[in-house]
Amino acid sequence: MQNPDPGAIPETPLFDRERSHMGYELNKMAMALVSEANRKAFAADEEAFLDRYKLSPEQRAAVLARDWQEMVRLGGNIFYILKISALNPMPVTAIGAAQVGMDHEDFLVQRLGKERRNG
Amino acid sequence: MAELIGGCGTSHVPSIGIALDRGLQDTPDWKPFFDGYIPAKEWIAEQKPDIAVVIFNDHGNAFFLDRVPTLALGVAEEYQIIDEGWGKRDIPAFKGAADFSWHLADAMVEGHFDPLICREIELDHGIQVPMELFFGRPAEWPVKIVPIFVNTVQYPIPTPQRMWELGQLLRKAIESWPGNERIVVFGTGGLTHQLQGARAGFMNRDADKAWLAEIGPNPEKYRGWTREQFVETFGSEGAELIMWLVMRGCMDAEVRTVMSHYYAPASMTGAGMVVLENEGAA
Repeated sequence: MQNPDPGAIPETPLFDRERSHMGYELNKMAMALVSEANRKAFAADEEAFLDRYKLSPEQRAAVLARDWQEMVRLGGNIFYILKISALNPMPVTAIGAAQVGMDHEDFLVQRLGKERRNG
Repeated sequence: MAELIGGCGTSHVPSIGIALDRGLQDTPDWKPFFDGYIPAKEWIAEQKPDIAVVIFNDHGNAFFLDRVPTLALGVAEEYQIIDEGWGKRDIPAFKGAADFSWHLADAMVEGHFDPLICREIELDHGIQVPMELFFGRPAEWPVKIVPIFVNTVQYPIPTPQRMWELGQLLRKAIESWPGNERIVVFGTGGLTHQLQGARAGFMNRDADKAWLAEIGPNPEKYRGWTREQFVETFGSEGAELIMWLVMRGCMDAEVRTVMSHYYAPASMTGAGMVVLENEGAA
């Protein structure tokens, strides 16, 4: 895709040059969590761990708040930022729901077509 | 020459591996999915391949964004399981068909495909899950593998047509290999899923079913599609389906669809498989 137009496919952030550039440090920080030692360091002192990377103030706040929608908006790619979720495991569908700004149960039913579990 | 015994397309959703790790195969969410793979396991047990060529994408595990190979080819004797962030899964390491891999490296470069050649690299769920779905959880894998990595994460990703041509080259490499191994080719990824953006959770069951029905008899429909069409139809991560075109491109023009299976959603993904045999094969 030369010159992909981000508006070409609605509500779909293609991970192109611009997004890759914007999210590089955020994704690099998340990628580091494939190491057990880094997971321990992150869990022990998240702020100190984040200091090792050149995150923008917005990216840093998004990570600390586990704001998945915001992380993606700021160039985070799901395959990297998902590793942050491994520290406090949660289903990927919950991260999906957060992308849309929907309640998790509503997301499962309305987007994925699952049967409603609670009422 | 080596014999191409068939082509398989399959999902590689990580949640499938997690379900296996937790023994959830018989729960209501998962049983219909796993049951659909029983005939595929029987098929491959009867076929007894020696080598599995697996086309898949790394999901930000072996490769980071610092260097992104459009195509990479494993030539190792052994491949370890990678830690994706949740700890290393307890499944056996893979044995590599290193001699055939080097033959394929020669064939690719001579055929004007130029892969990154990987002598030591760990493998993620993109290859683990297809192997588990077709071979279960043996103490040792019954086949040696040749991993082919395709970049489907960082744009520009390769075009569908290029995937098809890689499949055609793979077929020639199989036929020019002096060994007598039985080779199966796996195209993996998909089906519909989108994990990012406000369109996250996009499902397209009709398109998934059409893909499974048509990839055997009518691949022409898809190989000329743009990448944008794949993203629009199957979701941003569902565009992984371009990798099935490598598998389909290495098969005969005429194939029979021996079986297919579809289930949705597996986690956030349309999931399933197809097994193809060349029409001329016994």
